[in-house]
Amino acid sequence: MKHNVQSNHNNIMVVAHPDHPLYMELIQHYNVRTIDEAVNSFDTYELIIDLSALRTQKKFLFLKELAKTTKADIISDLTLCWGEWILKYSPQVKASVSTLFYSPTNAFEYSLRDSSDLLTEKHIANFAKTINQEMINHKNLGLCFHYPRTIAMIVNEAYFALGEKLATATAIDLAMKNGVNYPLGPIEWGEKIGLQNIAQLLEELSTITRDERYKLSTELKLQAFKYL
Amino acid sequence: MKINTVVVIGAGTMGQGIAQWFAQQNLIVEMVDQNFEFALMSLDRIHQSFDKLQAAGKLSSSDVTIFKKNLSVKKLDGIDGNADLVIEAIIEDLDVKKKIFKDLDMTMSKYTIFASNTSSFSITQMAQSVSSERKQNFLGLHFFNPATIMKLVEVINGLETNPEISSSLIEWFNDRSKVACLCSDSPGFIVNRIARNFYGEALRAAETFDEVKFREIDKVMREVGGFKMGPFELMDLIGIDVNYSVTDSVYRAFFDEARFKPHRLQKDMVAAGRLGKKTGKGFYNYET
Repeated sequence: MKHNVQSNHNNIMVVAHPDHPLYMELIQHYNVRTIDEAVNSFDTYELIIDLSALRTQKKFLFLKELAKTTKADIISDLTLCWGEWILKYSPQVKASVSTLFYSPTNAFEYSLRDSSDLLTEKHIANFAKTINQEMINHKNLGLCFHYPRTIAMIVNEAYFALGEKLATATAIDLAMKNGVNYPLGPIEWGEKIGLQNIAQLLEELSTITRDERYKLSTELKLQAFKYL
Repeated sequence: MKINTVVVIGAGTMGQGIAQWFAQQNLIVEMVDQNFEFALMSLDRIHQSFDKLQAAGKLSSSDVTIFKKNLSVKKLDGIDGNADLVIEAIIEDLDVKKKIFKDLDMTMSKYTIFASNTSSFSITQMAQSVSSERKQNFLGLHFFNPATIMKLVEVINGLETNPEISSSLIEWFNDRSKVACLCSDSPGFIVNRIARNFYGEALRAAETFDEVKFREIDKVMREVGGFKMGPFELMDLIGIDVNYSVTDSVYRAFFDEARFKPHRLQKDMVAAGRLGKKTGKGFYNYET
């Protein structure tokens, strides 16, 4: 799936699927490839920005495949991953970003493998500027970044409440916006992020931590996979 | 629905805010507290608030005169027995609440609607303290602090609440700049339940006491999530003890459901007396 790139980012390959929230923006500026296209690409790039929506194990295997075809530095979206683990076993990944979850402020988290790596930070800054996003650095990568895991839990609870008929979806959204000043109601927030992304993230947290708190609401599961 | 007279039981932060808001709707409001002097002090604070709003040009002098006239402090045995609505906003003690409702049930008109501003107890359980007839007029009206500013009112039907009463009240509030949301009688209702993991998940991301991580998480939640405050700064503002108590209450009410399990760090903070801004230290240090 190739697109005509309108700016001077020919030395960068972006890996993303059409359901990525920033896809329309990405294809205006970058060579965007799917996962399959990326591992079969013979083109030479200086930098790969991998925004594929994969969980830890699949992400690791994809990055391993990618490493066979290129020596380029990789910035990888680890929203659905145990980031520390990926960084440990995927040496080509110089930094991680979290662009998969819709942000009401148009911002994303990033974390550098080496905090003194100014070149990679500059690449991320250029990328953020190109797609009209702000970037927020943090040093503690942990599991699935801070914002995605927290908002996923809030949305999941809203769906538990919906499933129990605690209130209507409209009432839940209105209550959170007017009772505690949330910028969006959790139901509308979940729709903007994509319930499949929420479900995948919680399943990843559940797999890694074995903590029951990350179990998915049946209602969310029903809604998330209704289009499959 | 016509509401002309409201009795607010409890003159603490919530009772005071609720009384002020109703007075500003041009209703007759009687405020009661077991400590009469305390109720008088609350009345004084409401008057000061009206004066400040007038000075800021948000209320006219005639409005302020009327609103002040609308409000009075009464002893429990001196309230208007024909009031249209009684709202209880006392401490979260089920036995004390039930006793008040039981006493009021014997003296108030059968048409008076009874409401509790509880954030944690079951409305159905509380309604067991009143007659069968009154149970139909018994519901939850959960306001948010500050009640004069925050628009939300959770309207909670108990098992025996007449749904026509709650529907009429929702309409009544919505006509007066509040956003009233109907919800069923379940622990934490909507907000205190769904908001739990704003704190709970942040605590798990932080894992241990680490101010650098607290700052990082707060920053991300503000600048990426669009929240006005991050979870740690908000817990410090609310009071870590208060937040822990609400979490523990919801956790227990859901029979130890893992999603609501409090975090060890909250408990440690409470044990150490680091309760947030009010004690000068919480997740952050506020002492100069």
